[in-house]
Amino acid sequence: MIELSHVSKRFGDETAVDDISFRVPKGKFCALVGTSGCGKSTTLRMINRLIEHSEGDIILDGQAIDVYDPVKLRRRIGYVIQHTGLFPHWTVARNIGLVPRLLKWSAADVQSRVAELMHLLSLPVDEFAHKYPHQLSGGQAQRVGVARALAADPDILLMDEPFGALDPITREKLQDELAKLQSRLHKTVLFVTHDMDEALKLADHLVVMREGRIVQQGSPLGLLQNPVDPFVESLLGGLERGLKQASLTRVKDHMTSMGPTLPAQSRIPGTFSLRQALSMMLRDHSDRLTVVDQHDVPVGELSLRRIIKEAQLDNGNPRE
Amino acid sequence: MGTRVSNSLSVAPPHKKAPPWLWPLLWGVLLLVSVVAMPIAESLFRWIEPDARQVIYDRAELYVLLGRHLFVVGIAAVVTIIVGVAAGIAVTRRWGGDFLPLVAQLASLGQTFPPVAVLALAVPVLGFGTLPIIVALMLYGLLPIVRNTLAGLQGVEGEIKMAAHAMGMTPTQILRQVELPLAAPVILAGIRTSVTINIATAALGATVGASNLGDPIISGIVNGNMAYVLQGALTIALLALTVDSLFELLQRQLRSRISDS
Amino acid sequence: MSLMDALPSPRLRWDGRHPNIVLVTLSLTMLAAFWLLDVVSMAPNRIVAGTGYGALDAFGWPGALLVTLLLSFIGILASQPSHRHYRALLAAVVVVMALMPVGLMASSYLLIDPEMSQARLGIGAAYWIVLFVLLLCLVELRLRLNLTRIWLTLLLLGVALVWWLCVAFGLERLALVQEFRARDQQFLSAVVQHIKLVGIAVSVSVVLGLALAMLMRRYARLQKSAFAVLNFLQTIPSLALFGLLLAPLAWLAANVPVLSQLGVSGIGTTPALIALIAYSLLPIVRNTYIALEEVSADTLEAAKGMGMRTGQRFWQVRLPLALPVLLEGVRITTVQAIGLTAVAALIGAGGLGTFIFQGLGQAAMDMVLLGALPILMLALVVDAGLGALAEALRPGGTR
Repeated sequence: MIELSHVSKRFGDETAVDDISFRVPKGKFCALVGTSGCGKSTTLRMINRLIEHSEGDIILDGQAIDVYDPVKLRRRIGYVIQHTGLFPHWTVARNIGLVPRLLKWSAADVQSRVAELMHLLSLPVDEFAHKYPHQLSGGQAQRVGVARALAADPDILLMDEPFGALDPITREKLQDELAKLQSRLHKTVLFVTHDMDEALKLADHLVVMREGRIVQQGSPLGLLQNPVDPFVESLLGGLERGLKQASLTRVKDHMTSMGPTLPAQSRIPGTFSLRQALSMMLRDHSDRLTVVDQHDVPVGELSLRRIIKEAQLDNGNPRE
Repeated sequence: MGTRVSNSLSVAPPHKKAPPWLWPLLWGVLLLVSVVAMPIAESLFRWIEPDARQVIYDRAELYVLLGRHLFVVGIAAVVTIIVGVAAGIAVTRRWGGDFLPLVAQLASLGQTFPPVAVLALAVPVLGFGTLPIIVALMLYGLLPIVRNTLAGLQGVEGEIKMAAHAMGMTPTQILRQVELPLAAPVILAGIRTSVTINIATAALGATVGASNLGDPIISGIVNGNMAYVLQGALTIALLALTVDSLFELLQRQLRSRISDS
Repeated sequence: MSLMDALPSPRLRWDGRHPNIVLVTLSLTMLAAFWLLDVVSMAPNRIVAGTGYGALDAFGWPGALLVTLLLSFIGILASQPSHRHYRALLAAVVVVMALMPVGLMASSYLLIDPEMSQARLGIGAAYWIVLFVLLLCLVELRLRLNLTRIWLTLLLLGVALVWWLCVAFGLERLALVQEFRARDQQFLSAVVQHIKLVGIAVSVSVVLGLALAMLMRRYARLQKSAFAVLNFLQTIPSLALFGLLLAPLAWLAANVPVLSQLGVSGIGTTPALIALIAYSLLPIVRNTYIALEEVSADTLEAAKGMGMRTGQRFWQVRLPLALPVLLEGVRITTVQAIGLTAVAALIGAGGLGTFIFQGLGQAAMDMVLLGALPILMLALVVDAGLGALAEALRPGGTR
């Protein structure tokens, strides 16, 4: 667990981070979102003591971080950065095995762990183990970066805009993989990004920062439903907000039971999002969809009216 | 810089490349031949200098002079490498950072001092002989090494150092496993410059009473004996080329170890 | 917020008021040198090696105390740095520098018996070290106070003026001055000859170098071999290159009368100039070539896109952008040529090197200084001047 209470950081007269408090429960994925220069990266770096905080308490697993030896602390925390920071003079395998070697694992252990991680991140060992970072594509390098961070199996993973420098397609692919990885590994993740879509897609909890302060925090849906001010609203995409919210809501949570009328032609699995449902309605020129389970058996239905009503309800607007 | 240029324009048709050790070997063999077998070419030198009594420099054997030359340059090189790299490391650490701007300025300013002037200024303080030469070589050879060590260490990307830090490497581990290996090619280039200059400057030491490969040249000039001059000049040139090509070989290996597989 | 924030950066030292350990160290070094080494030396005549004298003998109690106070003052001010203290430090350093010849006057008065007409005063190791360290202090203070080049130049000119006045009135006992007075005409012509050799060598190699660089850009094949030859030449030690040129030129002069009429001979300016030009070509060609190559492709693309013709692109875009790097090449070359010309004195080219090698031959150290110091000054002045020029020509002005 990561817990920050009333943490501030000053550089000379400048306050980079101003009295922030939030917590990331064990196994949860928290995203720190904000424009560049808002102090989110500084916040991240205070947690592994790359930067020492000026005031407040940062508590990891019940212990204030000041108690830990900084070097040992960092070996226990995975860290991934935008441009990977891979050592250009080391092979992929050696890069990934860095922290285990620092922790003095045996050579055999390191080797098997490296192989395991490369497998986990879909980097075929035969093909990549002996390559050097400059021979990798951006996406491959970032996979190596993630593998390196996970090498010593840390409970906590800090990620500083890890996908910020990648092209959109690669970025989306890695986001999906990260989500899958997280559902298996259940690390406590703190993820810094300026990309709200990325945050909404990956995080259980969002912390929005601006000029060193926390503007708002909460669940992705909570933020979408009630942005506290125009800044958060614009971060959430202004007019697009409705669609983003829809993409976070699953069809089966909003379907109604099968009505008496003929089932609609178009079928949608209950695990899809409302956004996908809307898209399907537009595509099929239909205002009704039949919801099916994994065996393609109809279990309910969803109408356009229903989606709009639910949205009004969620956002606290009065009913018509 | 030169390598950068030649890399960017490799448009020439691919032909079979000479093995990299060919040049050092060639120059080295020529050097050995020239210090051992110079007397064999007596008739050639006789043709150049028909009136002189002596055409083969005989005050000392050339290989002895070569040994002394190498000794002086070698001692200076060992000391300057140790001191220069240590200084470069010290001022790029947090605790030595106060000295960084001054040392950086000094190292770049030092290139301005002509080696002859440094040598000449060492004599009034240290007297004649081998000692002032070694000291002058050390002073002068220090600066390129410090400068390149600084450039090499500062050239390591901040992201890489930060990543090393964040992975829990200690400062010593970062220095030894990350910073120094990455800076090594640049540092080696500095050592190469330093040694090349020092081979040339040491030859001038013959004017301040040190006996080395500069001797035949100086005494040839003084006595108007071109044969002596040629013998000294050839040997020094071959020495410089041998050492330089050895560095080239070393640099190439270092580079290939870092970037290619 | 760059990633650099996380690194141990030397810039951190600006916050907080911890003592400037650089200046404190320098101040302690000067104090140690002043008290432990010879401040001056005195010799009864030109050839005899001088006897060294420490601080007390050289300056007497009051003088030594004054110097100690001044030098400690620098250390004390530096231990509590502030902008005001840095200004005071600058003043202190300049004052100490200006007072240095006055100190020499004091010791020539204290140590030299007026009866001994041949007696001369030598400058001791402590003096040189203090002078050198004071210059280091100036470099450090310049960085601290963000002093512009002009300010620094003015300050140094002021110091030089005081020195000149002292030399002109009342330092006739100084060995260096005596050495100069004994051969002032010779000295002047040596300086002129030195500058002439450097000037000719550099201007010829600039013209040749530019032409070569242009050719290399056109014929890619030339590029590799030309760099190989130039690198090869630069690797050969100067003394050896001079030596290797002597014999063939002597032969040519003896066998081709036209050449000897033109002044070509084995010894003298011809081999010197050939060697100097050969050495100067590499830095010039390298910098020109790189400068022209490295003008960003985007900029040139844009110029093309705007409809500039090839000639216009070269003269209006490529060359102005390349000029600072090109000038940097001229600076390196000139500084290098100043040093090499000194070596050329060995083969009879004249110039300031003559004093160095004559002095070494006669074991007359002051004569060596008379040659070496002006060479050093010349190199520093040219370096600073061309450096300033290159900076001024950089688009966007200085900084």
